[in-house]
Amino acid sequence: MGAPLDLFAAASAEGAWTVGEVTRRARAVIEAGLPPLWVRGEVAGFKAWRSGHWYFSLRDKSAQMRCVMFAKQNYLLPAAPTDGMQVFVFARPSMYEEKGEFQLTVMELLSTEQGGLWKLAFEKAKAALTKDGLLDPARKRRMPPFPRRIAVVTSPDGAALRDIQAVVGRRWPLAELIVVPAQVQGAKAEASVCSALNRISRLPVDVLIVGRGGGSVEDLWAFNSERVARAVAGMPMPVISAVGHETDVTLCDLVADLRAPTPSAAAEAATPDRAEVLAHCGVVAQRLARGLRVSSRRVVERLSRTGDRLTGSMQRRVENSRALLTAHSARLDALSPLRVLARGYAVARDDKGRILKRVAQLPEGKEFRLRVTDGEIDAQVKG
Amino acid sequence: MDFGKQLERLEAIVRRLEAEDLDLDEALKLFEEGVERLRGAREQLAQAELKVKKVLEIEGLER
Repeated sequence: MGAPLDLFAAASAEGAWTVGEVTRRARAVIEAGLPPLWVRGEVAGFKAWRSGHWYFSLRDKSAQMRCVMFAKQNYLLPAAPTDGMQVFVFARPSMYEEKGEFQLTVMELLSTEQGGLWKLAFEKAKAALTKDGLLDPARKRRMPPFPRRIAVVTSPDGAALRDIQAVVGRRWPLAELIVVPAQVQGAKAEASVCSALNRISRLPVDVLIVGRGGGSVEDLWAFNSERVARAVAGMPMPVISAVGHETDVTLCDLVADLRAPTPSAAAEAATPDRAEVLAHCGVVAQRLARGLRVSSRRVVERLSRTGDRLTGSMQRRVENSRALLTAHSARLDALSPLRVLARGYAVARDDKGRILKRVAQLPEGKEFRLRVTDGEIDAQVKG
Repeated sequence: MDFGKQLERLEAIVRRLEAEDLDLDEALKLFEEGVERLRGAREQLAQAELKVKKVLEIEGLER
């Protein structure tokens, strides 16, 4: 502790110090004497300024100190801490000269609570998505049965893409795979995934796979971003999320139409199996052949039914005619003069066959012929 | 032709053949179309090879 002694010696030599001089010296002493260190405490009076900088105090039972975490440090954190939260900070002790305050300039902040800030941010974003109905099971869309275009958002050189390509190639090579590479981890991941999604939303794609292999909570963070989750929910086609593995459920998994445990499983869910579809084609072929048989049998049946009806109607016609004929012949019979003769009448005719109906036609001595029912006789008028 | 549409049409043809009272001419026409579509669908299944297209990465997007 040689330096402080020199400081006091200098002060006595120059008389009174200005405030600025003291604070500047104090700052130099503090920064020289206290290198950056980890500090543990409880957050109090947290305030985030519009500039993006965070101001708060750290305290324990006996003391407290002011802290600042600048925007260029805190933007990497998923969420802001809240008052009462126990945290570790890695900070540079310093003096804020304008206020004469001892202050920690925080470079790193970790929450010691269960899951830490990541968990907090996750729950916050999940609540916001739930409020907007984006996690509603009724929103889930079904996968298209025979996709023509399958888009994939993932790292261009990761195992995820290789797996997806292999599965789609084996199961449904009729599809076209559209790969939109994105950074899936790191500071730019959120923006990169969002811009990839935005791009795909304007392409004619039937189903989308968003995926990456597993990783730590931090590695998966882009898929827990509310912005990415909202972009996924807004996609015009069904989305399969394959992020992480069974144990890590991300927000992206929750808003997607389907969650797959691995990229390979996502590719299976997106595609029908070619072998099964071929077998189905066989069944359809049989049905087609049977359908034609059924159809032609129907035609034959209809034809024979029509034949029967034709014959039937002809028969009826003939019978009707016959009955009509009988009736007519009966009437004809009734009108026949022979029937009249049979009742005892006779017809007189002259030698030319003219019928003699009046007395004037039959003078005395006139010879004529008389037709009775069973023959003709000659006759003469007498007196 | 798109595989899904091809199969859909094929199934519609089969259903009509099975359910409707068609005249022979129509039934034959449908059957022929069905056979053609079946052939097309099987060909697609047999010959398909996965096409992979990469859409270029958009760089330099920062927050």
